Amino acid sequence: MSVKRITYKEALEEICKGLGDEEFQRGLRTGVRNAEGKFLKILDAHPELRELASMVEDAKKKVISNLEHYIDMAMESLKKVHAKPYFAHTAEEAREIVAKIIGRGKTIVFSKSMVAEEIQLQHYLEELGNEVWETDTGEFLIRLAGSKPMHTTAPAIHLSRQKAIELLRKKLGIKLPDNAMHEEIVGAIRKFLREKFAKADIGISGGNALAADTGSIILVENEGNIRLVTGYPPVHIAVISVEKILPTFPVALAAAIVQAAWAGLYPPTYLNVISGPSSTSDIERKRVYGAHGPQEVHVVLVDNGRVEAAKHPVLSGQLKCIKCGRCQWECPVWQQTANLWGGPVYGGPMGMGWTAITLGLRDAAELSMLCLGCGRCDEVCPVHVPLSSIIHWLKQQYTGEGE
Amino acid sequence: MVIEAREIVSMIKDSMEQRGLPLPVSREAIYEWSRGLGLPSSGDYLLYTGGLYQLLPYIESLVIQLEKVGKSSVGGFALKLAKKVMKVVDVSKLVSKPDKEAKKYSEQVLQSIARLLSAASISFYYDPELDGYSGALLYDMGLLKSFRRHAERVYEAFRSRGVRRIVTIDPHTTHMLRSVYPKVLSGYELEVRSYLELLAENLDKLRFKTSSAGPVVIHDPCLYARFENVIEEPRKLLSAAGYDVKEPRRSRRLTYCCGGPVESLAPSLSKRIAMNRVEELMEYASTIVTLCPICYANLHRVAPRNVRVADISVLLSERLE
Ligand code: SF4
Repeated sequence: MSVKRITYKEALEEICKGLGDEEFQRGLRTGVRNAEGKFLKILDAHPELRELASMVEDAKKKVISNLEHYIDMAMESLKKVHAKPYFAHTAEEAREIVAKIIGRGKTIVFSKSMVAEEIQLQHYLEELGNEVWETDTGEFLIRLAGSKPMHTTAPAIHLSRQKAIELLRKKLGIKLPDNAMHEEIVGAIRKFLREKFAKADIGISGGNALAADTGSIILVENEGNIRLVTGYPPVHIAVISVEKILPTFPVALAAAIVQAAWAGLYPPTYLNVISGPSSTSDIERKRVYGAHGPQEVHVVLVDNGRVEAAKHPVLSGQLKCIKCGRCQWECPVWQQTANLWGGPVYGGPMGMGWTAITLGLRDAAELSMLCLGCGRCDEVCPVHVPLSSIIHWLKQQYTGEGE
Repeated sequence: MVIEAREIVSMIKDSMEQRGLPLPVSREAIYEWSRGLGLPSSGDYLLYTGGLYQLLPYIESLVIQLEKVGKSSVGGFALKLAKKVMKVVDVSKLVSKPDKEAKKYSEQVLQSIARLLSAASISFYYDPELDGYSGALLYDMGLLKSFRRHAERVYEAFRSRGVRRIVTIDPHTTHMLRSVYPKVLSGYELEVRSYLELLAENLDKLRFKTSSAGPVVIHDPCLYARFENVIEEPRKLLSAAGYDVKEPRRSRRLTYCCGGPVESLAPSLSKRIAMNRVEELMEYASTIVTLCPICYANLHRVAPRNVRVADISVLLSERLE
């Protein structure tokens, strides 16, 4: 199974269509109006977050300059907390590792993960005969619509209430009135997914950060679905890309906090820490794994181009990214196109570098030609990913006039 | 119908190689504005216009052609048209039809700038033979090798004439000559100042009318604000000239692009970005101040009739005593 590529021409055609699509534009405009500049208000009220961001940036640099070492360290720490670590060099390897853990005929609940999207995990598991449910509301709707996520933290930004109602009725037979309000729609989704949570054999999550020294996975969220995905089924599988590794537990927490703040969600409703499977030793001091939470925690570390990129003079800068999506909200092109300007998974300013790393230089180079070079993304990135320089370098790869 | 980026990129590259300008325009178009002005031929600062204001009227007519292509749905025909627009064979057509209104405006801007520099007693000179294009578009489109070749030619011309100091008039040329040339050329040594910086430093010499001139909203160009730190100067100058300067929601280092850089690749996208910006700016004042010819062209194109988009030089020189 190969990932579908998107050429410049296809992207530009989609963009032109998107510009003329009233519903798409309306959704996007509303989303952008609420989100643009939001981090500035948060930073005004909590100036200490800037310090936290620069701490995260420094730690990220340290990890990138010695990525393989930190991968080893994280794997060792995961073992110490009785989690099972795996290292997957390619997307294919990652899919196979997960498939092997799961087998067939299982019910799986997912919490939105860009890297799962990147390695096309959901499709793959479905093809193997598993029942797969995405539980993040936005991602859930996107899946029903059969479209791709339009923003890193707000995937369904372009879908209207009307469209959501239509999807739930048509695809799932859920009864909703024409004029159902937001609360009613969310309630219907909750009710529908409760059942899936209860019968799920496996929960699959991503990870906002992974502490190399303790093997702790950090996950930040507002919906509460991640708590259920990672806490309710007997088996939890975390699929985490290797650049999410941070040297220590405190700085891993900091990365998740910074991610939430720059995403405009501060304080986040939930901050989850998972260091191995649940356990108890309340009966005769005998340690038993699998108390109220999962009995098994598997952690699949995904490389998919990152280890190589870490050694690259330009692309290594992208690995600092904590995927907060801020550069997307502030980009004048993205504000009109969302991830239509992007590859199959990653779009907008950060999407150019990530597409180059995880999919291929050629694809990213073509798309990068639509960048204005205005530098607004550089200005807002919490960890100073040199976005416009990366994109400018990609343009040089496109024209073949790089030096 | 969309045009491959490659087509546009190679058209611009061809044109640059043939005449050192991104559009098939005669060199005369770059310096004809100075005729009869009696500009000094020696002084401290060489006035290097970078040619962007002069290219404006040609860009205007080009964008109109490209929009036609965008609207057309017949692939083969549209592509032929696109090529025709840029092909050197059709230079005469394009050149004979620069947008009239834009041409008048660009001349007004250039003359206003010369007037302001004189009024502030800045020692500058103009040499039509040295004026030209910085190569900004080559750089922006990732044509780094072509850009370096062009920059070498430009710099060599400066050096052979003993140019040491340059005053620029737009953010693109300022950025290229001040921050990008030093990165791609070895031994590059030139003092490069934007005319706005020189004017602000010599503010005491400028005599403006004392009456109030009403509210204006400022549109910072990306390159001045985020790359060249030219932020306070325009504000200082406008205030001194009696304008009430309004700050839009997106200003200074977080200013918003006019959409100009993608106007040749994706005209409809570019236009939408410009509209988005104009809608914002209009909420603050009915006069929008631009500091860059590209911003001027893009915002002016989509602004409603009751909104005035004006280059800062025109607004300032209107207020000279
Ligand atoms: S590049 Fe920076 S702003 Fe963009 S998603 Fe990554 S961390 Fe956030």
